[in-house]
Formats: sequence, C-alpha cells, structure tokens
Amino acid sequence: MSTGERPDVDPVTGHPAAIVYQDVWKAFGPHQILRGLDLVVPRGRVTVIIGRSGTGKSVTIKHVMGLLRPDKGRIWVGDDELTAMSDRELRRVRLRFGIVFQQAALFDSMDVFDNIAFPLREHERLKEAQVRERVMALIAQVGLRGSERKVPSELSGGMRKRAGLARALVRSPEFLLYDEPTTGLDPILTAAMDKLIADTDAAHPDLTSLVISHDMHAVLSIAHKIVMLNEGVVVHEGTPDYFTSSDDPLIRQFLAGSLDGPMKV
Amino acid sequence: MSPPAPDSASDTEARPILPVRVVEAAGRFVLGWVGGLRGAVEEVGRAGVVAFWGVANVFLPPLRVRLTIQQMEFIGVQSLPIILLTSAFTGAVFTLQSHRAFAMFGAQAMVGGTVGVALTRELGPTLTGLLVAGRAGSAIAAELGTMRVTEQIDALDAMAVDPLNYLVKPRVLAAVLVMPMLTAIFDFVGIVGSYVIGIYLMHLSRPEFLVRLGDWVDWDDIYSGLLKAVVFGFIVGVVSCYKGFYTTGGARGVGQATTSAVVVSSVAILVSNFFIAWAIP
Ligand SMILES: Nc1ncnc2c1ncn2[C@@H]1O[C@H](COP(=O)(O)OP(=O)(O)O)[C@@H](O)[C@H]1O
Ligand SMILES: [Mg+2]
Repeated sequence: MSTGERPDVDPVTGHPAAIVYQDVWKAFGPHQILRGLDLVVPRGRVTVIIGRSGTGKSVTIKHVMGLLRPDKGRIWVGDDELTAMSDRELRRVRLRFGIVFQQAALFDSMDVFDNIAFPLREHERLKEAQVRERVMALIAQVGLRGSERKVPSELSGGMRKRAGLARALVRSPEFLLYDEPTTGLDPILTAAMDKLIADTDAAHPDLTSLVISHDMHAVLSIAHKIVMLNEGVVVHEGTPDYFTSSDDPLIRQFLAGSLDGPMKV
Repeated sequence: MSPPAPDSASDTEARPILPVRVVEAAGRFVLGWVGGLRGAVEEVGRAGVVAFWGVANVFLPPLRVRLTIQQMEFIGVQSLPIILLTSAFTGAVFTLQSHRAFAMFGAQAMVGGTVGVALTRELGPTLTGLLVAGRAGSAIAAELGTMRVTEQIDALDAMAVDPLNYLVKPRVLAAVLVMPMLTAIFDFVGIVGSYVIGIYLMHLSRPEFLVRLGDWVDWDDIYSGLLKAVVFGFIVGVVSCYKGFYTTGGARGVGQATTSAVVVSSVAILVSNFFIAWAIP
C-alpha cells in the first residue's frame, strides 16, 4: 500500500494520524465546495471542524465514510486509502464508523430500543439477550433510561440526539462522527450534549471523534484540536487555546459572532 | 394592438423581423422539448435503476422476509375494506346499467356473463391497481420521501445497510405478490355484488345468470387479469418507491413526490393495460 506521502503524526496534538485528507476537491455541478482540503484527524482525540453553514462541513465527513467520492485528492482511514476502493470495500470501511446526524435521523417506524439495536441486528449475529444487554447499557450511558419504548416523535430534540449517539456507539466503532450535535438545542441542552461528548470520549480512550459545528463556544471545552474551514479550505487549525488567544480577524469575528470582519453575509 | 409590456419597451426599435422571431420561437420550443425529453429520459433511467435493483435484490441477502410480510400486511390486508366496498358496488352498478341496455333487446340473460368477463379481464385488475396506487402507493412515496428528507436513508447508507435492499425490495415484492390476491378478491366480490343485484333486484333467472357466467368467463380471462395485476403491482411498487427515494426539497418535496407517485402509477397502469390487452387477445 502506498502510504509514502501520508503524514504519520498530527502536527497540532502530536498524536498519530487516524484520518488524513490530502488536497481533496469536490464540486456539485458548477458549485465548487471543497478546494484542496488538507486535514489530519488525530487518533483517540476529539477534533472539531468549524465553519459557517454551507461551507462544506457535512460534505467533508460524507467523504470519509465513502458516501461521496472526491473529484481529486486522497483520503486515508487508518492505513486504507479510500480513493481506489470499490463500493463493496467502502461499505466495509463504513462499518468502522458511527455517525450522529444533525437531526438524529432515527427511524420513526421504530422505538428507541429498536433504533439503537438496529446496527447490531443488521451486522452482528447476537442472541437477543446479548443485544438487550448492549442496548440497555448504552441507554443508561446516554441518560435515556425509561424511554426505550418511546418512538422518536415522542422524544424531545435533545433526547433524539442522545438516542442517535447511542445508536452510533452500539457497535463500538473506531471513529465517531457528530454532525452539528448542538445545533437547535438550548444553552443548557448544549452544555449537556457537550458533557456527553466529553464523557463518551473519556469512556472510550481509543475512540477517534470528529465533530462538526458552527458554534465555536459549544466546542471550545470538548475539542483537542479545532480546524476552521472556509470556502472549501482549512484556514486555521490549532488547539482551543490557539483560537481563544488568536487576534486573527476571521477567528475574532467567528468567536464574537459579529457582522463586521472578513466574512460577509 | 395591445400596449407593450413595460420591460419590452426598450427593444421596440431592435425588434427582429417576423421570420426571425418565428425561427427563434420554434428553436425555443424544440429546445424546451429536448430539455424536457432529456429530463424524462434521466427520470426513466433512475426509475429503471430502482426497478432493476428492486428485482435483482430479491435474491440477494438479506432476504427481508419479515419486512416483506409487514408490507404485504400494509398494502394488502389494509387495502381490503376499500377493495371490498369498491368491488361490490362496481359489480352492482355494472349489473344495473347492462341490465337496462340488454333489456332493450330482451337479452337480460347475458348480464351475468358480460359482468363476469368485464370484471375479470379489465375492471378487476385496473380498479384494484388504481385503488392500491391511491392508498398504498401514496403512503409508500410519503414514507420514503420523509425518510429521505430527514436523512434516514443517509443513515442506512452510513450504517452500511443497502437502502434499496432494506426499503425498496420489500415494498416492490409485496406489491407484486399482493396485487393478484386483491384482484382475485375484487373479481369474486364484484361478481357476488352483480349476482345479488341481478337476482334479487332485477329478478333475473338464477340458472341463466350462472350458466352464462360459467360459459363466458374462461380461465384465460382470469389469468390475463391476474397477469395484469402482477404488472400493475410492479408499477405501483417501483414508481412509488422511486418517487419517494429521490425526494428533494423538504416537506413540500414529500407532497410533490406523493402526488406524482399516484399520478404516474395511475397513468402507467391505464396505458400498460391497453398494451397488455393488445398483446394478449
Ligand atoms: N449531494 C449534494 N448535491 C448537490 N449539492 C450538495 C450536496 N451536498 C451538499 N451540497 C451543497 O454543498 C454545500 C455545502 O453543504 P454542506 O456540507 O451540507 O454544508 P455545511 O457546512 O453547512 O454542513 C451546500 O451549498 C450544499 O447545497
Ligand atoms: Mg451540515
């Protein structure tokens, strides 16, 4: 396997590289979304991609799961390079991921228990008792005890995201992706979700987390590394301290949520 | 002459001569058609992919037996009340009207046979198909459309579960399996409705009614009706799944997908009905 040019270590955290994007380009018709994205996601840490709505954050994580293919550039997951893979091989890569969707994307024909059990029942041959044990443990971990027989329409937004997190975790994935986990939650639920992400990270030391957000404040406390995306390229990357102490006008504008600055509406 | 529209005021002096405008208009017309045609071809292509994978997936694991049975319950069992009601009244009204017509020639005895042939060959499969399109097809398109716009289909993909296998196959298969059963029920209940009206209301002769029915309705009529039902089931399944699966544009898109699933399946049923009737004399 040709991993010659692939960086082995993340320069920001010093941790080994788990996911690498190298000069990734992607357009939808005339709209160029990614314009040579370079990104290293460190193993066992929490990395946050931050950027305005519509800059291509969701597109970025869809690439790493093989749901989209780049027009140009290379992407590694561990030692596997995705670019050359067949659909069947990509499907196998997907099994190493868990993803928490922006609106949770729970199946509304199933209750919470069956939603969380779904990946187990699809991909692992377990006895129903084992499924039950795994699912109930996760339900307790995300704080949904007593709600296992509720259907998604009976849950609040915060509870849905918790159920989505439990479903993403149920097969003990290597990588966990969160698409805007706190968007649409009130400040208290945002803090609760942040704590859940941090706790999940602490409980699974080998888990590599990648969080997408447009809310800088919500991620400062959970991130080990922050990557700022603008117009399809990485414009800044560093530790949370780097971002809070920076006087770069783009970062200041983003932190302040201000209309004045290099970014225009 | 009508006054010029405000925004065309500036091009009055530069207005091209009539033949040029005619050619332009013709060009636009042709281009519009070509564009529309290309859209239609693309759409048929994507529907073809759904149809192909819906079929090819039948033998690919996992088989999805439980989901298929659930869908058969939904498309079949839950359609029963409306099928029973519609078929009984269709048989009844058809008997009423044909009795009036035949009575003019003193040919009342032909009512049973006429109704039987019309029901088994045409009305049974076609009306069942239209009812299933309206009731189950719309629900399938709305369900899959909602799953698309709320990222549930993306979630299946992300969890390495093939959505065509998980969502489309059971629905297409169930529609194909259930339609002939519903059609057979439609035929039977329609004939019973005809019998009740014919014998008890029109006072037709019971033996004449039954003998003509038995003489005129061949197994061929019934088979061709059931074959149509299979085709119609496939049409409703594929069209509704396709419309739902490729929904875009939020709640509004789901509404459009639902409407268009019913319209397209209904038209496809009626058109294909003609060609099947043509091909099988
Ligand atoms: N499958 C797709 N087809 C066409 N355009 C897309 C697709 N996915 C995303 N886009 C477009 O790409 C841009 C970035 O989208 P996205 O990554 O979802 O933004 P965000 O950073 O808010 O997550 C948007 O303009 C969106 O319309
Ligand atoms: Mg997004």
